Amino acid sequence: MAALEWGGGARTRGRLFGGWDRFDYVMVIVSFLLVLLGLALIHSGSRQVYDGPFASLSNPVAKQAVFAVIGLGVMLGVSRFDYHHLTHYAWILYGLSMLSLVAVLAVGDTVGGSTRWFTMGPIQIQPSEFAKLATILVLARFFSEHGGDARELRALVVSLLIVIPCAFLVFIQPDLGTAIVFFAIWLGVVLVAGVSRRHLLILAAVGLVALPFVYTFAVADYQVARIGVLVDPNEDPLGEGYNIRQSQIAVGSGQIWGKGLTNGEQTQLRYLKVPTRDFIFSVLGEELGFAGAMVLFALFIVLLMRGIRVAQIAGDTAGQLVAVGIVVLLLMQTFINIAVNVSLFPVTGIPLPFISQGGSSLVSVFMSLGILQSILLRHRAYRQA
Amino acid sequence: MSRLDDNWRASSGPARLRPHGNLFALRAAVVVAFLILGAQLFRMQVVDGEEYARRSRENHITQTTSLAPRGLIVDRNGVPLVRNTSVYVATVLPELLPESEQERYQIYLRLEKLVGVPALEIQAQVKEREAAKQGFIEIEFKKRLDKEQALRLAEAVVDIPGVGMAVRPGREYIATEFSHILGYVGKLDAAEYAALRKEEYAFDEVIGKAGIEARYEKDLRGERGVTSAEQDAQGRLIEAFDSTDAVPGNSVRLALDAGLQSYVSELLTDSLKALGNDELNGDARVAAAVVMDARTGAVLAIVSVPSYDNNIWSAGEARAAELQGLLDDEAGSPLLNKALSNAAPGSTFKLVTAAAALETGRITPATTRNVTSAKLELKGEDGQPFYLDDWRAHGLVDLYRGIAWSSNIYFFQASCGILGESRGLGKNTYDSATILAYYARQFGFDSPTGIDIGGEESGLIPDPAWKARVHKDGTPGDRDWYYGDTCNMGIGQGDVTATPLQVARMTAAVANGGKLLTPHVAAEIVGPDGKIVRKIEPEWKQVPVDPKYLADIRRGMHESVLDGAGALGAVPGIDVAGKTGTAQFIDYKSGDTFEHAWFTGFAPFDNPEIVVTVYFDRGVGGSKAAPVAARIIQYYWENVR
Repeated sequence: MAALEWGGGARTRGRLFGGWDRFDYVMVIVSFLLVLLGLALIHSGSRQVYDGPFASLSNPVAKQAVFAVIGLGVMLGVSRFDYHHLTHYAWILYGLSMLSLVAVLAVGDTVGGSTRWFTMGPIQIQPSEFAKLATILVLARFFSEHGGDARELRALVVSLLIVIPCAFLVFIQPDLGTAIVFFAIWLGVVLVAGVSRRHLLILAAVGLVALPFVYTFAVADYQVARIGVLVDPNEDPLGEGYNIRQSQIAVGSGQIWGKGLTNGEQTQLRYLKVPTRDFIFSVLGEELGFAGAMVLFALFIVLLMRGIRVAQIAGDTAGQLVAVGIVVLLLMQTFINIAVNVSLFPVTGIPLPFISQGGSSLVSVFMSLGILQSILLRHRAYRQA
Repeated sequence: MSRLDDNWRASSGPARLRPHGNLFALRAAVVVAFLILGAQLFRMQVVDGEEYARRSRENHITQTTSLAPRGLIVDRNGVPLVRNTSVYVATVLPELLPESEQERYQIYLRLEKLVGVPALEIQAQVKEREAAKQGFIEIEFKKRLDKEQALRLAEAVVDIPGVGMAVRPGREYIATEFSHILGYVGKLDAAEYAALRKEEYAFDEVIGKAGIEARYEKDLRGERGVTSAEQDAQGRLIEAFDSTDAVPGNSVRLALDAGLQSYVSELLTDSLKALGNDELNGDARVAAAVVMDARTGAVLAIVSVPSYDNNIWSAGEARAAELQGLLDDEAGSPLLNKALSNAAPGSTFKLVTAAAALETGRITPATTRNVTSAKLELKGEDGQPFYLDDWRAHGLVDLYRGIAWSSNIYFFQASCGILGESRGLGKNTYDSATILAYYARQFGFDSPTGIDIGGEESGLIPDPAWKARVHKDGTPGDRDWYYGDTCNMGIGQGDVTATPLQVARMTAAVANGGKLLTPHVAAEIVGPDGKIVRKIEPEWKQVPVDPKYLADIRRGMHESVLDGAGALGAVPGIDVAGKTGTAQFIDYKSGDTFEHAWFTGFAPFDNPEIVVTVYFDRGVGGSKAAPVAARIIQYYWENVR
């Protein structure tokens, strides 16, 4: 591990309120628009089950709005905070998140057959959300340091060994989607860190050979069933296939312009399950149509491109790789969630960033944006000649 | 925070302080990811959108449930008391009818000929449905087709578009004397539907509404079969999915003996007519009898006369007038189960008084009273003369003779005491009443017995607290508890009421040495495969009376039948013990006084097997009820035992 040098130049010292000229306002505005769209969809998806007053914390819309405000605060706070604090303690954070992933398997809550949450009073905490960020930080730290040259096969294998334990612990929860997100983050980071294609091909070959064993020993029946019904949702129309079938009908029946917010029968007659969480995109598809989906895609593309811009101009390797990891994280969560809703991926319970109802998801997404801002605010300070 | 900016810097790491990665791949990944999603969305929403929109409109997966055959109810020997039948319903589905109103009317006319529903009525129903945009919901325009109509319609529907015949499960009860026990089934009402949401009743499913049908609903119902399918708006099957078969309900085997029940029912009906020597009462209008196993509480017969045909509930409009007739018959009130309805128990209650007096030590079996006159004059609480009446001058009676000849004055002495001469059960008249009420409740009075057919009244045991409560708006004179109240209670008169079943249950407790049994009509639940799913086990609680006192009471009852007021309860060759009761009551309509006739007994005396309680609303216990009980015991002995 590299020694750290304290002291030195102080270009931004004492400028607590400085650096706002480098702050990415586009990113903030886009994320704000996404949250607003999410609030509208949560309103539509929850109006059949919630009929209390609007300004009440039991109203999912109001609750989500409160979390959005908390999230904005967290983003601003984190952006003032040098991301090197995070990479410095990356291994400790990584260790803690491994511990929490083990602990959740032992004492977590089992919902719908998978053990993903701790319940602490009114809030639920999903350790894998935390573990994803910790893994990004550790990978960034590893490849920005002496000994972490991605061009070497040895370093590549070590980095894979960093990811595998987390992915495995998540996979046996079981949470296939999040496990895939872990590997996607790794792939994104090593690609940018300069991996050689030959090495990647070797690893891919090894992975292919191992696949039958994974299928035999590690894939649960429910996962097979979910993949099966994805191929043919009619196989079990009232069980596994139900959600897929209903989301297909919802999305498809929205056609180009949608049926109008709060007018979708699939949503309002409650054919859709969890319409404010995992299947919120189906609500959008049904009620706002292809046009609405394109607006959502445009917002996400702008946001992700702004994230890649951060990686582009980051002052150092650590910042760049952290930014890459976060972009891949957001991209994969978005992609998998929407892919589930349009029947391209088996049902897996990943929320749609910014949109899905759920405080911890929203706050952790804003925390990621805060880290991106932190990298951006300091890119000149760390730029080497 | 910012203070530390610039201070964090990797000290070494030669070539990689400057970012060097190629971010093009990442940008490409973002674009490709959304292109994939966009392409799929385009396919679903734009290319196939029309098709999905149609499926959404016509929504989609329908579950058809096949109802399980309901379990049967059989008597102790397996004789079925109810049959499952099919009910044929004529239906029309508006959206499948021809477009032109003229063609439609031709169909309505044909239906009028086939099943007798006026064409205009069908037309009105169809128009109403279509106006409500519910043309896809079937109309049941005739609910119960008779066999001939069903056959004709079944032939005709083949070539009439939109007209159909549905077959629904029905329930047919074989004889009227079981109506009060079995209850009936009917469609769920809104309240039941709300209460039973978790049980997932189908909207056209029937549910037990009373009696055994209601109490054992969970056993009888079985499990629905489910077929799921995707249908279009015309009801055409697009695709059928997996289905599960219905599981028939369990049967309930009763402890009841169908032969005995029918015999008792006929016997009571035939015995309603006034006896020649009873000029006071005239014909009895209603009667009830309970035959119960004295050891287990299993009910062998429980009869209420007059009864009614419980098929009437499912017949709907066809028998509405008849049902109204039953509801209007106040004197006979056939819908009411008289075995579970309140009446003054009269002298049968003296068994409780005897138990209380013996257990508290107020009397011993040797305590005597010389009843020299049928009228005993006392000086009342207010100084006015007060009379205690007996039904005759018994002479010197002890406990046994007191029970055997049902001496009122003996039991006044044992309960309220003879004013100015001896105290009652307690140190004053309040205490005496409270003590007696306590024992009465221990013998199961003043609360439902818990029999498994429901609909029972709880009777009433008055006491000073009760009187103060019900008359709280009255004058102090109304609220007070008097010496006379305690005396009335001691002989089962005044405000005391009890159901024949409560009296039978109390008698069983006396006969079996103090076990207060919970009566039950069902004996066991039998699965469709004939295996016993569960047995209804006897339940009881102990009455706090020394068994030796109960033996003394049994001896008194024995003497009653041997050579006392209950002599007509005797059966040749069987040693019967019993207690008569003749309770005076005032008909609140006419203001005239009549008597209820009671007999409650058990047999055989030395090893009680059954308890028989007979009740007529008008008559004298010893002459009207006792001989009926004797014939019931005889039938039991010869045909059931």
